[in-house]
Amino acid sequence: MPHGTGGAFFIFVGFAKNHENIYREGCCTLKIFTSSLFLRAVVAAALLYVAPDVAHSRAEQTPSAAPAKGSFRTVQDETGRSVRIPVPVRRVVSLAPSMTESIYALGMDDLLVGDTDYCDYPADAAKKHKVGGAINPSLEEIASLKPDVVLVTKGLNRLETVQALDRLGIAAYATDPHTVDEIRSSVHQLANVLGNPSAGEALDSELLQKQNSLRDRLQNSTPKRALFIVWTDPLISVGKRTFIADALMLAGAVSIVESSQDWPQMSLEEMVRLQPEVLVFASGHSEAVTRDMEALAKRPGWNDLDAVKYRRFAVISDAVNRPAPRLLSAVEDLARQLHPDAFAGRTGTSKAAGPVEKN
Amino acid sequence: MRPLTLSRLLLQCVVLGAILFCVMVLALKFGAVHVSLYGLGRDLLRVFLGKSTEISSEYSLILNIRLPRILLGVLVGASLSVAGTSFQALLRNPLADPYVLGVSNGAAVGAILALLLEPHLALTPEIASVFTPLGGFLGAAIAITAVYFLGRREGRIDSSTLLLGGVITASLLSAIIILLLTTMPSSNVRGMAYWLMGELSAVPSRPLAWVLRVGFLAAAAVIYTTASDLNLLLSGEKEAMHLGVDVRRVRLIVYIAASALTGLAVAMSGSIGYVGLLVPHVMRMIFGSDHRILIPASAFGGAIVLVIADTLARTVAAPAELPVGAITAIAGAPLFIYLLRRKLA
Amino acid sequence: MTATARSTSSRNAMDATRAATEPRLSVEQVSYAYSPNPQQAPIFTLEATSFHAKAGEVTAILGPNASGKSTLLQIISGALHPLSGRVLLNGFVTHDLEPRARGQRIAMVQQESQLLFPSKAWEFVMQGRHPYGRSLRFETDNDVLIAKNALAQVGAEHLSDRWMDQISGGEKQRVILARALAQQPLLLLLDEPTLHLDIGAQVDLLETLRRLAVENRYTVVIVTHELNLVGEYADQVVLLQKGKCLRVGAPANVYQRDLLEQVFQTQLTVELGSTGRPRVSILPGSGS
Repeated sequence: MPHGTGGAFFIFVGFAKNHENIYREGCCTLKIFTSSLFLRAVVAAALLYVAPDVAHSRAEQTPSAAPAKGSFRTVQDETGRSVRIPVPVRRVVSLAPSMTESIYALGMDDLLVGDTDYCDYPADAAKKHKVGGAINPSLEEIASLKPDVVLVTKGLNRLETVQALDRLGIAAYATDPHTVDEIRSSVHQLANVLGNPSAGEALDSELLQKQNSLRDRLQNSTPKRALFIVWTDPLISVGKRTFIADALMLAGAVSIVESSQDWPQMSLEEMVRLQPEVLVFASGHSEAVTRDMEALAKRPGWNDLDAVKYRRFAVISDAVNRPAPRLLSAVEDLARQLHPDAFAGRTGTSKAAGPVEKN
Repeated sequence: MRPLTLSRLLLQCVVLGAILFCVMVLALKFGAVHVSLYGLGRDLLRVFLGKSTEISSEYSLILNIRLPRILLGVLVGASLSVAGTSFQALLRNPLADPYVLGVSNGAAVGAILALLLEPHLALTPEIASVFTPLGGFLGAAIAITAVYFLGRREGRIDSSTLLLGGVITASLLSAIIILLLTTMPSSNVRGMAYWLMGELSAVPSRPLAWVLRVGFLAAAAVIYTTASDLNLLLSGEKEAMHLGVDVRRVRLIVYIAASALTGLAVAMSGSIGYVGLLVPHVMRMIFGSDHRILIPASAFGGAIVLVIADTLARTVAAPAELPVGAITAIAGAPLFIYLLRRKLA
Repeated sequence: MTATARSTSSRNAMDATRAATEPRLSVEQVSYAYSPNPQQAPIFTLEATSFHAKAGEVTAILGPNASGKSTLLQIISGALHPLSGRVLLNGFVTHDLEPRARGQRIAMVQQESQLLFPSKAWEFVMQGRHPYGRSLRFETDNDVLIAKNALAQVGAEHLSDRWMDQISGGEKQRVILARALAQQPLLLLLDEPTLHLDIGAQVDLLETLRRLAVENRYTVVIVTHELNLVGEYADQVVLLQKGKCLRVGAPANVYQRDLLEQVFQTQLTVELGSTGRPRVSILPGSGS
């Protein structure tokens, strides 16, 4: 911290403290600013700043050469913007945890030079250079990494960030998946954009296979009417245009929420009227959810929900919150909890769905 | 007896300007990315000498990202402080500032509505870039008019009634903002909510930058022409009138100009509180209540304070950036309490 | 000549031609009424009142509370538009004057000045020079001189560097008066200036006013309910009761016992002092 300036400030305050009513000193500006003490402090502060800079500059390497002028190509991102991306892509910054996960799933993490503070999966992602939050990243950090392209997603990042990157001449590629199919094709397209189509195809067929196998298993099961709970106080669920709602369908459930908003706040009475068969929670800690359910069961209103009364709920990993390949394993987990008979195969005794911990 | 003279005024302005310059240079230095002033100075020299090819990559980083941000901070800080000084004089209340009076919230509502409307209107690019600040200005003007009428009692401005009116208006507008946010599509909400907390990272386009600079100078100059009148208004409107002040005209001019300043500032950078409240106070402590020096001093002071606050916002939690409105609030509230106690002691 | 001196002298030249012959101040049939709400009939706070005053004269507007005294003063000052009638100052209608022109001719001394932030006495007095400057101006040496003189004339030079909120009520009143003098007015108006002063300070003030009126050729109009001060120091009395002007004249003429008893609703006696000035005494144990 600038201790020199701090010192000068306290000297000044001390001078001001000496006077009865601080509003009165309308005359002594000049005295303050020319007082030798103040001047000495300012000079000292100045020296303190410049000295380390001089030392640093002497030791630093020569400035980097001008960037090589390579070739470019123009692609369209998922929000309809035209993005001009250098070929080949060598340095990528991800501004969304889902994009980070996708890159790792594609096996292209050697291109990743920076990600957000919240990019925590897989474990390696946490070790990359951090550029700040998804909503409030540091433009300077991003720019200093000299990325070829920055990855954003419309559901998380801000338009202002994209606009700022545009003004700096840094390519920003945005995704905007609303269904599980779109997540899959989005990741596939990402691989194309980043210059490795084969990785994209491989992952795409793997994911497609998982999806199809899930669909096949569940084709004879009736979808359960579910309420996906994002937050209890106030009660927030997911809208029907979100990828989470689509993921629920893939898992053999259907969200009872008809709202077109992304994170609609619902009224408890309405939920009681609709009486969902099961509540779905996304969390890393299912014991905590079990405890919360006990607490919920004691609350008026909540207790009118059959799903609460009879403890019909499912807990899945919070991977379902990110539109990335890992979502499918959470979907699979949910499907198992909701329709165990479709998976039991051999011994088929079903029981009321209870919390099954799976991450 | 030492009345204010032009030379003393200029000297004080020069000193303040020098401090602002130093603060700006320091702000250029501090940030998530390390920059050496020595290197920056060397690069600038190279540009002047025509050896542009030898510039380091840091230079473009500074020019494109940090410098515009610092300049915006100067403009917004100065605007908010001058607006605060004007409201305090006009309403004869040391607690008046654009934030407390609800004018900031009015500007925010105006700006949000403009943002919502913009895609639905076919605007030329020039108008589109100034549409949001225009909305901000209108919102600010409507808010201050409402507060003014709420603050009238028996045809005169009553200071405490006015403050009450301001608080009520501010909370009403706050509720409207929240209502607007909940009905907007989610992707805009996040950005809006963050912007509302005050941030300086929005770099204005060229026409907008000119509007801001010219707007600030024009509004501040207009307010400055009423500086002597404002001095007299401190004694009361009736007395000022008897001393030759055209109270109606001064009030109208200053309200409009101060609303313009607030509207522009909020439209660019969201709600930044405490700057318009505390900077005039501190400047009054140093320079006295004569508005002929107080107004320019507040402008410089606000610029200095906001650039410092923004530098902190950029560095304290690096690499994440905190909203600058949070910094000013955290620093401003205790300082305000301290000032209050000193005055009463 | 400096700009301010020039403007003052030109104004004086225009006004001087009239001063010798006509009364400087003519209040002609002014009245005032207001409606608390549109349905109600207007309430008259002042009914047609007239009087004249010359340069160098002290006129007192006298009456009990709510008799319309302040309203009359506000109308004279030009701050309030009368419902009917007009006020002429050297031939100019006061409420038609622009604020600056008005500030150069009419000075108002009101009660306790509310100061938001502390200021020094000389700063306060300098405010009186405001009507003479352009909008962006700094005070000239002439202004400083006039302000110093004004303080000297009220005997307050020693207060020049003191803070306004640290001086006594009487001293503050003097500084406020000095500010009015700094305006170099033709008409000096005072609204209940003796309210918060002790008897010594009251006499001081009235003595000063009378002296200044004569020396500087002011027309002084003072609103008050202090019977004896008025009796001693005023050249002319305008007696008001409930908005009606009952009598205008020299104190000896206006101070008739029956009249005063009717106006002030209390028993009293009137004596003529050795100087020919009336003196009023209350009768103990009276009061209806």
